[in-house]
Amino acid sequence: MQHQLTDTKAHRRSLSASISKPLQLVGAVLLGTIILYGAGFVNTAAVHNAAHDTRHSQGFPCH
Amino acid sequence: MLFRQVVFYALLVGVLSGLALTVVQSFQVVPIILAAEEFEGAVVEAEATVIPALQSAGHHAATEEEVWAPANGWERTAFTMLSNSLTAMAFALILMAAMLASFSLKAGEKSLKAWWYGLAWGVAGYVAFWLAPAIGLPPEIPLQATAPLEHRQLWWVFAVICTVGGLAGLAFGQTPWRWIYPVFLIVPHLVGAPHPEGLMFPDQVPVVAAELEKLAQQFIGATAIANGILWLVIGVTAAWSVKRIVVALKAESSPGTGMEVPSV
Repeated sequence: MQHQLTDTKAHRRSLSASISKPLQLVGAVLLGTIILYGAGFVNTAAVHNAAHDTRHSQGFPCH
Repeated sequence: MLFRQVVFYALLVGVLSGLALTVVQSFQVVPIILAAEEFEGAVVEAEATVIPALQSAGHHAATEEEVWAPANGWERTAFTMLSNSLTAMAFALILMAAMLASFSLKAGEKSLKAWWYGLAWGVAGYVAFWLAPAIGLPPEIPLQATAPLEHRQLWWVFAVICTVGGLAGLAFGQTPWRWIYPVFLIVPHLVGAPHPEGLMFPDQVPVVAAELEKLAQQFIGATAIANGILWLVIGVTAAWSVKRIVVALKAESSPGTGMEVPSV
């Protein structure tokens, strides 16, 4: 009985881990996409000028 | 927590590879941009002398004041290094998330110990985020005629997403539909990138245009090398980071055996 209890506990823990991990990885991809948008795509003149050489050399559409 | 670990290591990877890229660029990419910009200055001066009536002095001063740009020299290099590191960090976040996600697949976990692991992911990133968009939209130098910015940005995103899907399918797909993945790789190029009609440098006299076309050719080669080095560094350091994260996660999930974690 005791054994079974710890089993379900462990099972629940690994289940919550396997659900939260994909979410955290999706979060990492989202954060990456936001940074990429800011550095490579935002068309405000000041941001464009600051990141100008990076955009040209990494092949982001520019100007 | 997994998210915090990934962000921490991505920052490290970003700073390292951003620095490497800035050094490489300053030898071969930036000189070409600066050379093209010299012609840019010549155009502005020529316009100013030809049509002074159209540019009232007040208007000109106002636009110059409004648009900030880093001064040439160390300031410009510093901002380039910053934005290089930011894009590299963003690439690392996406790449490491993909590496970690692939562990749920048999092929993903098996290959972690292989010597080529970081290289393979680096090449995949290079193909998806540089080569595929560059086939349709080769990196441009200043003054080059281009299609509207929004169209090019849209196609860039489309090309990257299709290529990521195609590569992921080729590496990990197991369905009988595997033949469809190469199609993903080709579709953006069948659709075709937006290009302007007419000359590459329409505002230039033929001699200058020929000079600029030469620079544009050199620029594609220079960026191909610089981005190759960037993705090599990102791939290798991201693989190292992911191995450290896996070790940390194993220690976290089995606190009793934390001291004897197998070296990955």
